[in-house]
Amino acid sequence: MIKAKNLSYSYGKHTILNSMSFDIAAGDFCAIMGQNGCGKTTLLKCIANILPTPANSIYINGKDSKSYSVRKLAQQVAFVPQHTPIDFEFSAFETVLMGRNPYQKHLQNESQEDWDIVESCMKKTNTWHLRFASLAEMSGGEMQRVLLARALAQQTPIMLLDEPLSNLDISHQFEIIKLLRDISINENKTILLIIHDLNIAMRYCKSLLLLHNHNIVYRGDITKGLTTQNIKDYFGVDACIETINNQSQIIYN
Amino acid sequence: MKTNKKRTKYLSLIALTLFMFVAVFVSSMVGVTSFSFSDIVTMMAEKLGISESTTASNMQNTIFWNLRLPRIVLCLLVGAALSVCGATYQSIFRNPLTDPYILGISSGASLGAAISILIGMDSQLFGIGAIALATALLTVLLIYKIASIGNRMHTSTLLLTGVCFTFLITAVISFLMVLNQDKMERIIFWTMGSFAAASWTDVLVTAPCVVIGICVVIYYSKDLNLLLVGSETAKSLGVNVERTKKHLLFFTTLMVAFAVSCCGVIGFVGLIVPHCIRLVVGADNRLIIPYSIFVGGIFLLMCDTLSRTVLQPSELPVGSITALVGAPMFIYLLWKSKKQL
Repeated sequence: MIKAKNLSYSYGKHTILNSMSFDIAAGDFCAIMGQNGCGKTTLLKCIANILPTPANSIYINGKDSKSYSVRKLAQQVAFVPQHTPIDFEFSAFETVLMGRNPYQKHLQNESQEDWDIVESCMKKTNTWHLRFASLAEMSGGEMQRVLLARALAQQTPIMLLDEPLSNLDISHQFEIIKLLRDISINENKTILLIIHDLNIAMRYCKSLLLLHNHNIVYRGDITKGLTTQNIKDYFGVDACIETINNQSQIIYN
Repeated sequence: MKTNKKRTKYLSLIALTLFMFVAVFVSSMVGVTSFSFSDIVTMMAEKLGISESTTASNMQNTIFWNLRLPRIVLCLLVGAALSVCGATYQSIFRNPLTDPYILGISSGASLGAAISILIGMDSQLFGIGAIALATALLTVLLIYKIASIGNRMHTSTLLLTGVCFTFLITAVISFLMVLNQDKMERIIFWTMGSFAAASWTDVLVTAPCVVIGICVVIYYSKDLNLLLVGSETAKSLGVNVERTKKHLLFFTTLMVAFAVSCCGVIGFVGLIVPHCIRLVVGADNRLIIPYSIFVGGIFLLMCDTLSRTVLQPSELPVGSITALVGAPMFIYLLWKSKKQL
């Protein structure tokens, strides 16, 4: 589904991504993890083609991402950034409707189909009752669900999410991650998300892309990737892994 | 919900058009030489060849057709252009406090106008406009480069850069005026903003630029909504951000340059009008832009009518009237945005 080949990116002289190569299979639910500043967000933005990458470094569906037009790529890849500005007041419904933009021409109004898709996406994310509210007056969890609905309305096979759980309390973290897992299973979407909570990631995600110092240090099954050794080496924390109620739990020393 | 919204939109646009005609009639009636409603109807009928030339004197005819009417049409054109540009800049720069005047783009254009007078280009039909466009584009480019940090547009830097440019350009223009005292009066006209010298030639030069510019903005009005949510999000939703911004900045600057080159720098229209519309209809640019065309035109026409009638027979600069309304509005907006932080 997604393939990176010797992907490098730098801001000026400062290298952020150092020749990364990896594969993400269709239907994967992949956690991108690593310490702050290791290049996670840059990696997502490169895949979404928001940052300019060299040709032949990212392949979407076997095709170089550079060969897609902006509009065509937006029909393949949805991206939810970590921060969404809310200084201009659009309602939740209008926000989700923006997800239909890749399928509309200039000057073309939304069709009945667009309206139906928006409604079903908002119902899936339990935001339909918020449709008239503006983003500015929402809580973090509500806003995150609205942004998820917008990404769903794009009807893309791939979804990229930059820290969808940040700024949420623990119950809303569980709510969002379960929702994402259900979406990935029920709609067979490929989801990549940046996440910091090791336990939540281990419990819900399928695979792991672990970054350290601008390199990929692990790519594969998440339960095999989050070992005490890796946690010590790449997160700088001593931890042990215990099985409690048939769940592997990471406990920090 | 959907069809209702559409119907309201068309109904209000029709209402605004009617209101515009009322404003045009009222504005053409009042002034140093005042006309009655029947005078105007008779003069129009004569022009259209419906009735024989009768009551109105030649003098009255000239005042109406060659002085008042072009001035009214120009007010509508410039008001529409400045408001649409204001709405566009507010979306592109994601900042409710921007308009062509505050960003310094109008001043940039006025510098070009001053230069073209000094080198004698003002006798050419598009002479002033062309040089005003060049300097205005240069201003936009510089402001854009200075205020963008990485991928982001820094709000306070943007406003400060605009203010600094306005000061700098005003200083350069004063310098140019002192060096060329014989042309001083004509240049002062550009820095104050006035429709007193409006002619059909001005209308002829400005109209095509404004019409083309507004069409381009309407074409991109949906993309403007997405730009409001941030350029990264806009790109991931299928907007070709760089191209869209480039086209919009060019055509709005074109409108500003030609508006400034025929009537000088008029502040705050582009700030107040889109903002008031936004308070009523919400953030959707597909509504804000069409409403801006009418409301902006009517607003500037009313301001200009006031400027030439309150202290009759002397005239106030129209910019002083718009500033009288606009500056308190700007301070109020600043106050409100401070509270949000």
